[in-house]
This record gives sequence, C-alpha cells and structure tokens, in this order.
Amino acid sequence: MIDAPFYEYGAFGDRAALLLALPIGAAFGWFLERAGFGNARKLAGQFYLRDLTVFKVLFSALVTAMLGAYWLGRVGLLDLSRVYVPETFLAPQTVGGLIFGVGFVVGGLCPGTSCVAAASGRLDGLALVLGMFAGALGMKVAAPRFAAFYESTPRGSFTLPALLHVPYGVVVAGVVAIALAGFAGAEWLERRAR
Amino acid sequence: MSPGGAGAPAAAGAHPAAAAPLAAATPPAAAPPAAANHPAARRVLALGAAGLGALAVVSGSPYAAQRAHVDVEELSRTISAEGDHVTALDLARWIKDRKPGLRVLDLRDQAAFDDYHVPSAERLDLTALAGARFQPGETVVLYSEGGGHAAQAWVLLRALGHREVYFLRGGLYDWVAEVMNPTLREGATEVEQKLFEDRAALGKYFGGTPRIGAPTPAGESLPVPKKKDDGGEGFTPKEDAVRRLKKRGC
Repeated sequence: MIDAPFYEYGAFGDRAALLLALPIGAAFGWFLERAGFGNARKLAGQFYLRDLTVFKVLFSALVTAMLGAYWLGRVGLLDLSRVYVPETFLAPQTVGGLIFGVGFVVGGLCPGTSCVAAASGRLDGLALVLGMFAGALGMKVAAPRFAAFYESTPRGSFTLPALLHVPYGVVVAGVVAIALAGFAGAEWLERRAR
Repeated sequence: MSPGGAGAPAAAGAHPAAAAPLAAATPPAAAPPAAANHPAARRVLALGAAGLGALAVVSGSPYAAQRAHVDVEELSRTISAEGDHVTALDLARWIKDRKPGLRVLDLRDQAAFDDYHVPSAERLDLTALAGARFQPGETVVLYSEGGGHAAQAWVLLRALGHREVYFLRGGLYDWVAEVMNPTLREGATEVEQKLFEDRAALGKYFGGTPRIGAPTPAGESLPVPKKKDDGGEGFTPKEDAVRRLKKRGC
C-alpha cells in the first residue's frame, strides 16, 4: 500500500517536517562539502570545462532521485501524483535564471554551495550568503511592484513524459542514457584539459 | 533509494583529498582524482543505473491511478448481485450503529456540502479520487446528488483496487426522502405502518420529520418492495427532492 510522501499522507505534521528538514539539510551540506563544492575555484572550473564535478555530482543525484521515485512509485510505495511539481512561469523564470547564472559566474558559488563555503569558513561564501538574504528580503519588500510580471506567462506544471507524450519509463531510460553519455563526455573533456 | 544510484553522487564527486591515496594505486599521482577513484564501483553503479533505466521502459507507469485495472466480469457480477450499493436506510443504520471503519464520502461541490450533507460525511472531490487513500478495514460509502457520479466513482475506486466500496442508491434525494422525511400515505396497510414506524424512529435520530397522511407526490410511495435502482434519479422526482431539500433550509 502507498505510504509516501509521508507528509502528504499525514505521517507527521508541520513541526516534525521542519525538524526533519534539519538533518536532511545537514546531510545535503555534508555531501556538497565532501564533493569539494565549498570551493569557488572548483565550481568555476565547470565554466571553463576543466573540472566537471558539479555536472557529474548533480546529474548523479538527479538520476538517483529519478530512479528512486520511478521504482518506488512502480512498486506502490510512493504516490507520485502527490509529489509537488513546481509550476512554470516562462518570463520571470527566464529572468531569474539569468540573474542566477550571472551570480554563479561572478561569485563562483550557487545558493547551496555558498552556505557550504560559509560554513567551512570561506569569506566569499559568507559574503554570498549575506547577499542572498539581502536579495530575498529586498524581493519581498519590492514584490508588490513586480507582482504582475512575477505571475506572467504561466504554463502550469510540466513533467517530461507529459510534455514529450512518451511513456514515463522511456523518459527514465532516456535520462539515464544521457547521464551516462554525459559522464563519459565530461571525463573526456577533463582529460583533454590537463 | 535505488541500489544502482544510491552511491553515485558520492562516487562521482568524491573529495579530492579523500580520493588521493586510492587514486595513487592505478594512474600516476598527478592524474585527475575524480576520473581515477573506484573504477570497479563506478562501473557497477553505471551498470545498475543503466539496468534500472532499461527495465523502466517495459515496466509501465509509476502512477498507481494509470495502472488501474477493470475486471469487467467481476464488476458486472457484483452489480448484478446488488453488491455495489447501499440504500439510504442501510446507510442510516450503519451511521446510527457506528459501524466500525465506516467512511461516508460526499462527492458534491463544497457549496452543496456546506448547505447540507449526510451526518459524519466528509467531502471528496471527484478529481481527487485517484489520490484518495483508505485504511484496511474501512468501508467506503460514496454519494452524490442523484447517484450518477457516485456510481461512476464506485467503478473507478474498484478499478484502483479498493474492495469495500459502495454507493448510496438514489443519492442525497433518497436520503432526504427515505431517512429525513419518511411519509406514511393515507390508507396504508399494516405492513407499511410497521415499516414507517421503524423509519420514523431512524429519521428522528437524524433530526428528520416523518409525515403521516401527507399527500404522496406522484411516483413516490413507501418502497415495499423497493423498486430496482435505475441510476438513482428515477425513484424520486428530482424537482420534488430539490424542493424538499430547499424547504428544509438545506
């Protein structure tokens, strides 16, 4: 019988969910740090095609989560229809993505890794974390002025199987194939760069 | 977690410092650490992911609702044996007797539910049916206004594998006519009289108003024996039931 998502099925309440977020976040931070993501130089290596660890780690995580979600759903332990799929707002998300990308290239860290960098004592990480909170606060204050843009070009929730009109399992296999080819290609690029 | 991918992030992105001693064994120490650690483990993880991915192609949808299965023969037998529904009086007795594990689900919209619903009922949107979750041992009774939606939802829940599901025959109209406002027609027989007394007691329990000698609208009489269900809405004229629902301030 289906038991997950645990929160959706009322296995625990809001308070327990918040408490559980702490060890999950800590584990996430731990693995980011162990992957070397506290170091802005390592992350920047991605953009010069010298060090593709970010691509490999994050794509591995994606494939792991995808296979886990697919197979848990398939054997009836996870109700995928209750898993939240964020909605697409084309224009604001494009702008947001560009701001994110510029910040990533300039600072060499993304939000999660900036926290890891700050926690491991790097001042650039700390500066980015402070900037991130300032930006979030500023956005909250300025939100009413952007409200119309913020909610423009809504496209609803997309999943690849629905978008491509192919069976779920085919998308799963396709993403795994792309990932494995990507890993091989990434390592080829890394060898060539040295 | 899938066995094929569980360790992939750690393996693919192991910290350079931690990887160095292992990397030293095969290529020269200066070689890129990420490409050199645990070649065997990496191969196993890659093969595992590839295998689980390939198997997914032939394993169907991970959404339970999309794998629903209709056993036409079994369902038609259940319907023919009248094992698909309960009458308003059955439901009233179940609620009154606090039948263990009983769940009464109202499939109408929120406004209609707020106006009036069967006591102890909870609202469930038809579109949320696929995600509805029931505990083992629960008996589910579905109802809608006339009974059509509830009967359709019954088929869907059975297709999803839920077995203890019934719909209320005649819907809320039957509930109002038979439980809340049972009527004894003038010149009733003794059997009808006895039945009416039982039903009047049940109706009063739910706050209804039994009526004696009230003029019986066309098409409505004491259901002894009960007319075979035809989808629910033929038993009590719809307009009349709506009128009476409104009169009750429902």
